[in-house]
Amino acid sequence: MTSHPPHITRLAAELEGAPDAELAVAPKSAHDVASVLHHATEKGLNVQVWGGGTRSGYGAPPPPDIVMSMERLGEVESWVPGDLTLVVGAGAPIADLETRLAGENQTAVFPEVPGASTVGGAIAAGAAALRRGRLYGTRERILETTVVTGDGRIVRSGGRVVKNVTGYDMQKLSVGAFGSLGVIVSVCLRLWPMPPAGVTVTVDSPDEVSAIARPLAVLEENGSTRVFLWGTQEVVSALSDRLDGESADGLDWPADPSGSHKWSLRVPPALTGQATAYLADDWRYLAIHGVGDIRAASDDAEAAIEIRAWAESVGGHLVVVEAPPDFQKEFDPWGSPPSGLDLQRRLIAEFDPARIINPGRLPGGI
Amino acid sequence: MTLLADLRQALGKENVLEEPLELHIYSKDASLIRGEATFVVFPQSAEQVATVVQIAASHSVPIVARGAGTGLTAGASPTEGGIVLTTTALNSVEIDPDNRTAWVGAGVINLDLSAAAAPFGLHFAPDPSSQSACTIGGNVANNSGGAHTLSEGSTTSHVLGLEVVLVDGEIVVLGGLAPDSPGLDLKGLIVGSEGTLGIVTRVLVRLLPIEPEVRTLLLDFPTMEGAVTTVSEIIAAGMVPAALELMDQRMTTAVENWLHAGLPTDAAAVLLAEVIGELEGVDSQAGQIGEIGRANDARDVQVATTEEHRALLWKGRKSAFGAMAQLAPDYYLHDAVVPRTKLVETMKTIYEIADRYDLTLLNVFHAGDGNVHPLIAFDASEPGINERVHKAGDEIVTFCLKVGGALSGEHGIGLEKRDLMRMAFTEIDLDAQARLKEVFDPTGLFNPRKVLPDGSRCFDFGGVRREVPEGAWV
Repeated sequence: MTSHPPHITRLAAELEGAPDAELAVAPKSAHDVASVLHHATEKGLNVQVWGGGTRSGYGAPPPPDIVMSMERLGEVESWVPGDLTLVVGAGAPIADLETRLAGENQTAVFPEVPGASTVGGAIAAGAAALRRGRLYGTRERILETTVVTGDGRIVRSGGRVVKNVTGYDMQKLSVGAFGSLGVIVSVCLRLWPMPPAGVTVTVDSPDEVSAIARPLAVLEENGSTRVFLWGTQEVVSALSDRLDGESADGLDWPADPSGSHKWSLRVPPALTGQATAYLADDWRYLAIHGVGDIRAASDDAEAAIEIRAWAESVGGHLVVVEAPPDFQKEFDPWGSPPSGLDLQRRLIAEFDPARIINPGRLPGGI
Repeated sequence: MTLLADLRQALGKENVLEEPLELHIYSKDASLIRGEATFVVFPQSAEQVATVVQIAASHSVPIVARGAGTGLTAGASPTEGGIVLTTTALNSVEIDPDNRTAWVGAGVINLDLSAAAAPFGLHFAPDPSSQSACTIGGNVANNSGGAHTLSEGSTTSHVLGLEVVLVDGEIVVLGGLAPDSPGLDLKGLIVGSEGTLGIVTRVLVRLLPIEPEVRTLLLDFPTMEGAVTTVSEIIAAGMVPAALELMDQRMTTAVENWLHAGLPTDAAAVLLAEVIGELEGVDSQAGQIGEIGRANDARDVQVATTEEHRALLWKGRKSAFGAMAQLAPDYYLHDAVVPRTKLVETMKTIYEIADRYDLTLLNVFHAGDGNVHPLIAFDASEPGINERVHKAGDEIVTFCLKVGGALSGEHGIGLEKRDLMRMAFTEIDLDAQARLKEVFDPTGLFNPRKVLPDGSRCFDFGGVRREVPEGAWV
């Protein structure tokens, strides 16, 4: 058991659902985060950053020495509806935030069924909305980040305006990085206005949607296809009339499928239909047509090797989002390592030299 | 062998320029800052680019990548000497209509890409005003925007993959057709890095369907304030038009004298708005924009009724910089961003600064994004004018940062704004950026001394305690 100094232990907190660790802390400021990380770097302790715990198995993190929750860093620092920008702490629960934004008919385009997930967690895990085909992924919404590096530096990049090419785009590098370039403390996000009406149309096949240039989303869930439309009442009525299907008012977003094993299958957009045909017999799935983002779940991993081999043969990936730890030991959560692995390793070494933030959680065991 | 002999052997004599006049032409981009090219090369493939990189490294000579040279911040000026690597021969275009993407050579001209995609009902969204000349490689280097960035974002949102030559000559492909490549998003880091991290040879771009309907409106206002308020109220009403572009009276006058695009020259400001989408939506949105404009005292609201009319309105906007030649021999174009809600006070301040320095200043800008482009027309031969132009420019940029804005919206930092980076970032922030550069290019081979001010990496961290307040330790 490592001894922890009082300025760290004063941050101790009870964290519901978090993995067992020597110490669980909930910092109240970026400086607190820096203290914890600096201490961990000095002592060589693994830190798992804890948001809502919804993707805690993603990337098969090793057992942590310290669990650091961002729950006390969840304030909205500024929100200017006329600028469509928001600055918010990483620990803000997405559900609460989106509810608040909806009060002004705006959205941050986070995942629609977020559960307990937080702003920082969704960004760090690279989670995207089902609307991403029309409104782009999480990466495209991040204007500025403040992160704390493994060695305790507080680094800001980007800016608080919707258009900005000032220096390297480090803020976007935080997406899907699992904190390896620094724990996200706060972000500035580009918001999107929400039009007054939405309609969900059930159709026979994704091919029918070609009658509409840019729908909000086309989702196929276990063989059933729904088209999501939004706009003024006039627009959504007219568009749904063009589709041969049953329409229902409102946007009724589905949750990702559940099971003991959860997967993210990523394929070239045009192969989405082929991928779902491939999964149909074995796995439950929710596929975003036009994007190639397929969320799947199963009760065992029997088909995984075959599906991964197919995905990788077409330039895609089968990634394990959640699975029993024993399985992740024998089946790499990410699959074949990506290109530029050496660059990734050297970049991370500049920001987390002792490799204490979620070590081993990235592809290639980084 | 000498550098010249190595380059000629690798690329053929015809692809290496060495005559003084040729070198002079390639020693400058569209900024006011000239460098000095040692040689200019035209590699024909990624493999040849890799060979040039290895040759440059072995001779310790820097490489400055160049597309069409339309950049405005000296990003492509070889200010430290070295090889100017021109990408124009990397001009392949492979459209993949099923995936709505294309693999495009870095040297392909922006507008040529959209022209090649049009038969498939697709287009490339980023549309800088220089799109008939600028290259995709240059767009990637500067994360270029354009009039239609408002609804679709800058170049970075449309790049799915990159083929890049790294400093050791390795050719890597980053990203790809499938979404969310596992690991760090290195391609996203290279977009906007101004040729300082690697040389991009091919780009996998996202193509968007051409929207079925488009409505282009021209609103003219007796005051700039009315025009700017209209922009804010359009956004506040929940609309994100494809474009919201503003020109002031001095600008419309200059354009009309040159092009006769039908712009009202007696208006203080004209707003060009464009809405795209399905038939059922565009007319009601256009109507709503017209109403908001009239409520802010717009005198007239024109809706382009034909494609010719629309093209003429856009030609007036996109040719604004070309119209400057009649006013003065030189111009200095700024690029800064302010929060949209600060546009009214920003415009007032910009005019006030120009008046104070007795300068001719015109405005044409992407109002929807808060991306201002004050343009100062001057004659560089007038004694003392250069100093006034630069002082006014610094005051404008300082003001934009003070109200929460950014140094650059779409032109980049290059050399011109490099030293202003200290106004936007702390030493620690700049040190972090310098570390990124060092990981990719430890010897400073690629476009040296651009983007980051000298000494960015010198920050003495001195242990974490500097960052942690004293009180935290008790």
